[in-house]
Amino acid sequence: MEKKLVLESIFAPSEDVVAREIQGEFLIIPITSGIAESDEEIFTLNETARVVWNNLDGKRTLRALIDKLSVEFDSPAAEIENEVCGFTEELLKRKMLIEVKRG
Amino acid sequence: MKFLKSLTLPEFSLWNKMREQAKIVSFNLELTGRCNHNCRHCYINLPAQDQQAKAREFKVDEIAGIAEQAVSLGALWCLLTGGEPLLREDFFDIYLSLKKKGLLLSVFTNAALITDKHLCFFKKYPPRDIEITVYGVTQETYEKVTRKPGSFANFTRGLDLLLASGIKVRLKAMVLRSNVRELPEISRFCRGKTKDFFRFDPFLHLRFDGDAARNAEIKTERLAPEEIVALENSDPQRFKAMEKDCAQFIFPESSHSHCNHLFHCGAGQGSFTVSYDGFFRLCSSLWHQDCIGDLRKVSLTDAWSNLVLKVRDMRSDKEKFLKRCRICPIINLCLWCPAHAHLETQEMDSPVEYFCAVAHARAKSLKNN
Ligand code: SF4
Ligand code: SF4
Repeated sequence: MEKKLVLESIFAPSEDVVAREIQGEFLIIPITSGIAESDEEIFTLNETARVVWNNLDGKRTLRALIDKLSVEFDSPAAEIENEVCGFTEELLKRKMLIEVKRG
Repeated sequence: MKFLKSLTLPEFSLWNKMREQAKIVSFNLELTGRCNHNCRHCYINLPAQDQQAKAREFKVDEIAGIAEQAVSLGALWCLLTGGEPLLREDFFDIYLSLKKKGLLLSVFTNAALITDKHLCFFKKYPPRDIEITVYGVTQETYEKVTRKPGSFANFTRGLDLLLASGIKVRLKAMVLRSNVRELPEISRFCRGKTKDFFRFDPFLHLRFDGDAARNAEIKTERLAPEEIVALENSDPQRFKAMEKDCAQFIFPESSHSHCNHLFHCGAGQGSFTVSYDGFFRLCSSLWHQDCIGDLRKVSLTDAWSNLVLKVRDMRSDKEKFLKRCRICPIINLCLWCPAHAHLETQEMDSPVEYFCAVAHARAKSLKNN
């Protein structure tokens, strides 16, 4: 069952994936099974996702992250919230992220 | 909006870009020279209990150090080979330390040492693939090649365990005098077990350690050129591929006449190999003393940026090279290359008469068809 995201929660990259930057491409490489659908599959992140990923550091709440990015990108918090939550949900579904603290 | 894009490796566009920019794409690690089998044609194996060879093996932290440098130079894929890599008692530690650096791993094994523990481990930490060589599909033939009683039963047990657990397995066969009669059955067996991949290789390399007695034995296991061609022609997939690419295999004599470089192949372009005792090579077979670097003395980064350039710039003005292999119109049908020439003749710029005969037999067959 899908849990609803709570903005006071804190997330961090799972130890079951490795993030690497190769030639300007940001890659997420699964270490364990159950993340990719085949052993030939790896993942790339787009620009927005890369910024969010780098800020999902196991210390900041989602809300703090949204506020930070909203200032950095000079965009309304609601817009950033949409992007951050969309990406976080996608990562959680893929088991690439763990919830360090539930808010 | 999609934040995360999934890619399968063949469509990964960075490969070519990285090769062009002299980055590392992949590397091979020979984890040990030791093997539980003693195959007649093997170019590397030492006895499983060889304590001296074992003592020389690179330790987990040394391997991790090389991998760290390789990863920082871009490497994404690593092949774990041997000898038999599963003989390493610390195989799981090595494998995991590489995985955790974000490397995709392939493993070459004879499957005989596979246990339930390996299965659980590989299911949890999947390799990209496991490649297994099939030496025969009867006990008699298999063990004639491996010279190890009981090895056939162990191989079939290991292979079946891997297949049943859904781990991606690729099969290949080495064809030698001792098993050639069984090749049709070997081919059927392999194609029956895995649907997507099977290849056979009739080229037996000479020993990396130059052992004269073992080299003589390998030569007696080699097939005659006509036998190789007949086998290739009897494999419709292989023959079709060769026929289709005929223009790439045979080209006008003048195409390389302006150049005295030794290396026109992919050696050191995007990949490298490390021996079990830490010697860096531009490719697995390139053992000439001027082309290797001891990674216990030089860093990988140093070897990659200096040795590779030096080797790729090597030239020869010997007539036998310039007048034969360098301008050879059928070199793409030939196993000749500086690395194998060195293993066969101790010189990187000598033609190899056996290879030459095979290449000409192949060219004749292609022309006739
Ligand atoms: S084996 Fe020969 S052809 Fe292949 S990469 Fe090495 S030197 Fe080049
Ligand atoms: S060994 Fe013979 S066939 Fe092979 S490249 Fe040299 S000349 Fe050509």
